[in-house]
Amino acid sequence: MSKKRNGRRKATAKSTSWLRRALLLLLKLSLLLLVVAAAGLIYLDAQIRAKFEGKRWALPTKVYARPLELYAGQTLSADDLKLELKGLGYKSVANARTPGTVHWAGPRLDLVTRGFPFPDGSEASQQLKLEFSGAGLNRIRDADGRDVALVRLEPMLIGGVYPQDNEDRDLIRLEDAPATLPMALVAVEDRDYYHHFGISPKGIARAMWVNLRAGRFVQGGSTLTQQLIKNFYLTSDRTLARKLMEMPMAVLLDLHYSKDEILEAYLNEVYLGQAGSRAIHGFGLASQYYFGRPVGELGLPEVALLAGLVKGPSFYDPRRNPERALARRNLVLKLLYEQDKIGEQEYNAAIAEPLGVIAQRSLHKGAYPAYLDLVKRQLREEYREEDLSSEGLRVFTALDPLAQSRAEAALGKTLGQLEKRYGKSATNLETSMVVTDPQTAEILAIVGGRDTRYQGFNRALDALRPIGSLVKPAIYLTALERGFTLASPLEDEPVQLKLPNGDVWSPDNFDRRSHGVIPLHRSLALSYNQSTVRLGLEVGVDRVIDMLHRLGVSRELKPYPSLLLGAQALSPLEVAGVYQTLAANGFQMPLRAIRSVTDAEGGELSRYPFKLRQQVKPELIHLIQYAMQEVGREGTARYAYSVLPGNLNLAGKTGTSNDQRDSWFAGFTGDRLAVVWIGRDDNSRLPFTGSGGALRAWTEFMRTEQPEPFFAARPEGVEYVWVDEQTGLLSDQRCEGSRQLPFITGTAPQRSVDCGQRRPSNNPLDWFRSWFR
Amino acid sequence: MKRVCIALGTAAVLAGCAGPSPYVTPVEDRSSVRSSAPPAPGSVLPVEENAPGVSVQPVEDVPVFRQQRTQEQGASTYTPPSAVESPLQPASTASQNAAVVALLDSARQDTSSGDLRAAQNRLERALRIAPRDPQVYYQLADVQRRLGQFMQAEQVALKGVNVAGGQPVQLRRLWSLVALIRSEAGDSAGARQAQQEAGRY
Repeated sequence: MSKKRNGRRKATAKSTSWLRRALLLLLKLSLLLLVVAAAGLIYLDAQIRAKFEGKRWALPTKVYARPLELYAGQTLSADDLKLELKGLGYKSVANARTPGTVHWAGPRLDLVTRGFPFPDGSEASQQLKLEFSGAGLNRIRDADGRDVALVRLEPMLIGGVYPQDNEDRDLIRLEDAPATLPMALVAVEDRDYYHHFGISPKGIARAMWVNLRAGRFVQGGSTLTQQLIKNFYLTSDRTLARKLMEMPMAVLLDLHYSKDEILEAYLNEVYLGQAGSRAIHGFGLASQYYFGRPVGELGLPEVALLAGLVKGPSFYDPRRNPERALARRNLVLKLLYEQDKIGEQEYNAAIAEPLGVIAQRSLHKGAYPAYLDLVKRQLREEYREEDLSSEGLRVFTALDPLAQSRAEAALGKTLGQLEKRYGKSATNLETSMVVTDPQTAEILAIVGGRDTRYQGFNRALDALRPIGSLVKPAIYLTALERGFTLASPLEDEPVQLKLPNGDVWSPDNFDRRSHGVIPLHRSLALSYNQSTVRLGLEVGVDRVIDMLHRLGVSRELKPYPSLLLGAQALSPLEVAGVYQTLAANGFQMPLRAIRSVTDAEGGELSRYPFKLRQQVKPELIHLIQYAMQEVGREGTARYAYSVLPGNLNLAGKTGTSNDQRDSWFAGFTGDRLAVVWIGRDDNSRLPFTGSGGALRAWTEFMRTEQPEPFFAARPEGVEYVWVDEQTGLLSDQRCEGSRQLPFITGTAPQRSVDCGQRRPSNNPLDWFRSWFR
Repeated sequence: MKRVCIALGTAAVLAGCAGPSPYVTPVEDRSSVRSSAPPAPGSVLPVEENAPGVSVQPVEDVPVFRQQRTQEQGASTYTPPSAVESPLQPASTASQNAAVVALLDSARQDTSSGDLRAAQNRLERALRIAPRDPQVYYQLADVQRRLGQFMQAEQVALKGVNVAGGQPVQLRRLWSLVALIRSEAGDSAGARQAQQEAGRY
């Protein structure tokens, strides 16, 4: 470029020595400059190529919710599917033909799925006909009317791990974008793009002319290539030096790479908006951010809006400045029309369309801070932060957005009701919740606090609170394992314990009364404290601790007697782990949020398979499950059945910590386990107990979730026997005051009450034998 | 002590009179409190508050009488906590689901073509859809066995046993699989035990 200078030689007749020397110096300087410039160019060239061919962007980790599986016979309501499709940004149309569209006609719908490259195989885009009836999804057929056994919808993107500059983007290939997108970009930003060599003298001249006529800076002469260079390689400050670098680099870039390659990079690089601290880069993410759909599904007016945004994403922000955005979009459309890229009809139809931008909430990022918090903690144990924020990892989780939204709604509603009911004494309530599938131990939902969008303190994981009576099933299970039966009589009488520090501890019942001799199952169902402490001391606090560890608590537990009344603090997630084992018939399973992690290309990096370990005999668990069902039928959680269907067979336990600072409920049905905590961050006293608070929220969640009933199949080693409620003696169906209880075979009481049940046989020997049974 | 002996003797004689009776020694199972170690016959027990002066477990308790239930009382609408009486359960319906059948079939194909990871993925999908289907556990345990994950394989098979209550065919297959897993893992005693279990069905 600086060759011209070399030719500048003026040999005049007057050749004085100083002039010659000066000229020589100039020549040398020029040569030096030439060398420096050439070196600079080579350096620039190397830089350009390195960046363009290497890893161009730090790609954030993407975190996905579980994909919704669709199959005939599934219990899924049409409303749930509607919600899921809405979250995925499906467009409701009159005739579903293209991916991401749906047509609802009463209980039937036509749906074209998008397809998704799952780690265990790609799910192709499919045209489907679905039929709902009664309880759920009745039939799925493909376009040719054949039955389809199983379909996976694409998973909802729920968040990510972003690099420090908070740049976020979804990479797309040029062929992923609608053909109108490059067309519109070229038309509005750089109409000579396909003809210039990186810089456009024509464009610069035109810009200068326009600016001169306007008397101010209206238009820049930058080509798309120059814009890419600017964003890609240079700092954002507007200096002349930068401007000078830009041009040779643009030419070099153009020299090395095809127009399409450069355009593809541009599509992914360009800045198109701001979501809080997150910078939206590239058309792939911008399409999701503004329209909730992949860029390939966008129509002409939407493409025109995005192309128009390039000039000023903040100035033309369609959410904040819709009029400006609309005018800008229509200008882009007009340019396309004037340049004969679109016909008149197309143009007229497009400018008549509304902006079509979705409300920001629908972008599911940021909607699940508590769940993502857990996912990120697990990821950070295995991956380096820089890999998480730059390698484009994909994380597949078990989050069920439907369960999550119902959990949030249930807590919100219940807290509102509690505040209304208890007035001033129920202000500043906080809450948290964990929902799992008891069969697979997958974590379906986590609520970390009342403000479900708050990214801070995650109470479900980090708030350690005394669990109160939630500890009782572990004590009773220990007792059952040590030979007690559900009918064993317990003494609910005052108990005094001398503590090592000299204090005397004498726990009270909630109703401040003692209840005398009661059968074991009753004591758990009604959550009596004195009988529980006596039982716990008899079997040994150490054994109870051992049981808690077997059920899933990994933290160290101190063998204080107060542990028997739940003085031990645990997080809701830990409690869920314990109840998970109770729900899964004694098989302890680590709770899982992440199913698998893959690299950007879909290669599996780690997976978290189904894992379990039998820790307690299923027969014993069956007994404790019986007593935990009694909690719902006749015990402290009776409230639940005033709302829930009678066949649900829920099993659970209420918990209220000492001085009523924490309100807990932990319980499960056939396919849902939920732990709810309600309390205050300042740990002050609540005006309600576990049944009055947390149980209400649990019940409200289960009401909307409509889970499967719990079904406790009787293990072979268990028999059901009629016993007398009051004495725990053997009884009969025909005798008053009798009930059926499960016993480990051979442990049922031998001696029986007498209501004449054996007399009708008129065999004196039978009557006689009954004394010895 | 004397009283106990007399009572014991009386009971034994009476029992003898009653013919070939199935009951065992009367005293041992007298205690209505089942503690970890039942008291030996005639052993000294703590004094009950309203059992003045009697410091031994009486052989003959005072009989407890109850009224018989009337019809109306019997026909109450109350549902007892665990309504499930029989180990026979309609779990087999789960496997009839076409989605699970399809997943199990492709998992079988994956397994025979040696793609155990793919099989595992499919079986875990099946598990989420039909977590009470013993067949899913059977195949998953078998895949884990082939992967050499014996401990997990055994546990998954045992969970299969747990959900297969009342289905003899499945129970036999699952216990046989447990036996195979244990013998491959070098636990021959455990394998024999599992084989015995399998033989019960």
